[in-house]
Amino acid sequence: MRIAVLLSAGRHSVSGRPAPVPVELQALRLAVDLANQCGGQSGCDVTGLHAGPELGPLADTLGHGLGHLVHLRTEGAADPAPALAAALEAGGYDLILAGRAGQGGEDAGLLPYTLARGLAWPILADAAGLAPGEAPGTLSVEQALGRGARRRLVVRLPALVTVHPAAPPPLPFAFAGLRRGRVEMREAPPAPAVAPEVEERAYRPRPKLIAKAAAGASALERLRAATEAASGGGRLLVDPAPDEAAREILAHLRALGLPTR
Amino acid sequence: MSRPRKDPRAARAAHLVPGGARPRFDLAALPAASGRPRRDPRAEERLALVPGTLRRRLDRAQRAPALAAAAPASAETVDAAPRLRVIAEPAYLVALVPDAPGGRLSAHDRQLFGAARLLADAGGGAVLAFVEQPGEEFGPAGADRVLALPVSGYDPEAKALALNAALAALDLRHVLFPETADGGDLARRLAALSGEPFFAGAESLSPKAVTRAARGRRVEQRRAPPRLISLAPDAVAPHAGTLHEGLPVALAFPQPTGGAIVSAEFIPADPAKVSLAEADFVVSAGNGVSDLEAFRALAAALRATPGASRMLCDAGLMPRAAQVGASGTVLDARVYLALGIAGAPQHLQGVAKCEHVIAVNTDLHAAMIERAGLAIVADAQKVMPALLALLQQERAS
Ligand SMILES: Cc1cc2nc3c(=O)[nH]c(=O)nc-3n(C[C@H](O)[C@H](O)[C@H](O)COP(=O)(O)OP(=O)(O)OC[C@H]3O[C@@H](n4cnc5c(N)ncnc54)[C@H](O)[C@@H]3O)c2cc1C
Repeated sequence: MRIAVLLSAGRHSVSGRPAPVPVELQALRLAVDLANQCGGQSGCDVTGLHAGPELGPLADTLGHGLGHLVHLRTEGAADPAPALAAALEAGGYDLILAGRAGQGGEDAGLLPYTLARGLAWPILADAAGLAPGEAPGTLSVEQALGRGARRRLVVRLPALVTVHPAAPPPLPFAFAGLRRGRVEMREAPPAPAVAPEVEERAYRPRPKLIAKAAAGASALERLRAATEAASGGGRLLVDPAPDEAAREILAHLRALGLPTR
Repeated sequence: MSRPRKDPRAARAAHLVPGGARPRFDLAALPAASGRPRRDPRAEERLALVPGTLRRRLDRAQRAPALAAAAPASAETVDAAPRLRVIAEPAYLVALVPDAPGGRLSAHDRQLFGAARLLADAGGGAVLAFVEQPGEEFGPAGADRVLALPVSGYDPEAKALALNAALAALDLRHVLFPETADGGDLARRLAALSGEPFFAGAESLSPKAVTRAARGRRVEQRRAPPRLISLAPDAVAPHAGTLHEGLPVALAFPQPTGGAIVSAEFIPADPAKVSLAEADFVVSAGNGVSDLEAFRALAAALRATPGASRMLCDAGLMPRAAQVGASGTVLDARVYLALGIAGAPQHLQGVAKCEHVIAVNTDLHAAMIERAGLAIVADAQKVMPALLALLQQERAS
C-alpha cells in the first residue's frame, strides 16, 4: 500500500513560530503503523508531501518516522492545491492522509475536500485509527465522534482520510531518523495566487454566549444564571427505603435515555 | 494641533440675532451644536437605572439606547405566549442543516436556527431546514419550511449531492451548518462539490459580516456572509420569541448512487476509557462514600465514567484525574450522579454545564441537594448496594 501524508506549514499554538501541525504528525504515525503492518512487502511506503515556498521546520517530520519527504516548491502566495493534485495523481498512491485542519494558515480544513473532488476519490473525515480491511483493497477507519464514541467504517481504496486529534500521539522525535530521511525537491508549475476576499485584523476573543438573567434580576439571580444550568423537576425524596431510592434513580436515568444495561 | 483654535470673533458672530438696524447679540442662547456633543452624565445614569429592584442598581453593561428601546417591548411580551409568524411569500431562502442526532435538536442546532433567523429576518426571507426525519420540533425552533433529505444510514456523500441539487434548484441565499464532526464534514463536502465560497467556523454572525479565527487564532477574518457558512458553538443565541410554521415541502432529488463506503458501524463510547471532560454520564463519589468497592462496581454496572470530589482525591482513594471541579475537570456531561457530595462552590463549578443532576446525601441542606433535579436524602452506603442489586436483577430477568 502506498501512502501519502500531506504536511502543511504550521505555526506553534503558543509561541506562534513555524512548526509542524500536531495532528499531521499524528497522521504520519497512523501511516507508519499501517505501512509496518503490511510486513515489509515491496510497494508499501510512506511519502510526505508539502507544497509551499520553503520547507522550514517540516524537515523535522523525518525525525518522526517519515522516510521520504517531497517538497513541491511554489511561489510565495500561490495556491498549493494544483501542485498537490498533480503530484498525487502522478504518485499512484492508495491512501492519502491529511490533518483535520491546518494551524497557522487559512485553517478552514477545506483543502483535502477539494483535492478529493479533483481526484474523484472518496473522502472520510476524523479518523482516530486505521487498520487494513478484511477484504483486500479495503481500509477499516475508526472515526472519532463526540464524547468518546466511535464509528467504524470500511472503505474501498483509494481514499483520502483526514485525521482527528483523538488519534494516537505522534512518534517521538529521533535524530537518527532525521539524518536517515531523504528530502526531494521539485519545482511546481506556477499557479495563480489565491486572491484574498476577506479583511484581516488582529484576533480578539469574543465573550462566549452565557445564560442571561432578565434585566431586572438581583445579583443573586444573575450569579445563579451564570453558574447553574437549568435542571428539570427538582424532586426531593426524604429518607426513602434504599430499594425505593434505587428504583427512583434508575427510572430517572431511563427517562433521560441512558443505556444502563 | 488636533483641535481647531477658537476664534472669539466667529463665536460672537454666532450669537448675532438677525434683523434690526443695529447688530444685536443674544449671548444667553446656546450656539448650534458643533463638533463634539456634550455628555450628560445624569441622563446616562437615568437610562442605566434598572427599574423594579429594591436597591438602586445601574446596568452600565447595556448600551443606553438599546435599553431604552428594549424595556417597553419586554414588558409587553412577558406574559404573552409566543405568537405564530407566517411568512407566505419569502423574498429569499436561508437554509440550514442541523445535525439533530436521533431526531432531536442539540443546543448547537438551536443556535444555528438563531443564526438563520438573523439572516432571514434582515430582508424578509424564510428559513428552510434540511432534516433527515421530519418532526414537530423544527417549527417552534424557528423553521418556516422543512425539507426531508432522501438519505439513510451514514452516507455523507449522498447527503452532500442531495444538498447540491437543492442549492441549485431552490436558489438558496445562504446555507448554514454546525461546526461539528458531521456538520463540518458535510459543509466542506458541499463546498468542494459546488465550488461556492465557504466560511468555516464563524464566531460571530450578522447580516452584514461574519468573522472567524485564522492563522492559529492570531488573526480575525471578516467578510460579508458568503453562501456556505459553518457556525462555531456558542456564537449566536438560539431563536426565541416567535413560533414558525415548519411547513413540509418536497423536492425531486436525483437518485443516489452507491458510494465507496462498504459498511458503517456505530461503536458507543467505552466509559472506562473516556476522559472525564468528554464523558456523557458521570457518577461521582464524595466524602460521604466509604464503601469504594461498591462505588466502582456501581460505576461499571451503570456504564458511567467514575469521578470524585477533591476530598477523595486528596486522600488518595481516587486518582487525581477523576477530580471534578474548579481545580479538577469541568464536566461537559449530560447527566451527573453525585453520591455523598456536599456541593462546595468549587465542586459545583465543575458541574455547571451538566443538564441533569441526581444527588444522594444524608444532609437535607447540602448545596448538592438543592442543585439536583432528583434529590434523595438517604445513606449512600445503603443506596449503592440496592442499585447494584436492582441492576443485577434486571439483567438476570
Ligand atoms: C482552592 C480550592 C480549590 C478546590 N477545588 C476543588 C475541586 O476542584 N473539586 C472539588 O470537589 N473540591 C474542590 N475544593 C474543595 C471543596 O471546597 C470541598 O472541600 C470539597 O468539594 C468537599 O468534598 P465533599 O463534598 O466530598 O466532602 P464533604 O464536604 O466532607 O461533604 C461530604 C458530604 O457527604 C454527606 N454524607 C456523609 N455521610 C454520608 C452517607 N453515609 N451517605 C450520603 N451522604 C453522606 C455529608 O452530608 C456531606 O454533605 C477546593 C477547595 C479549594 C480551597
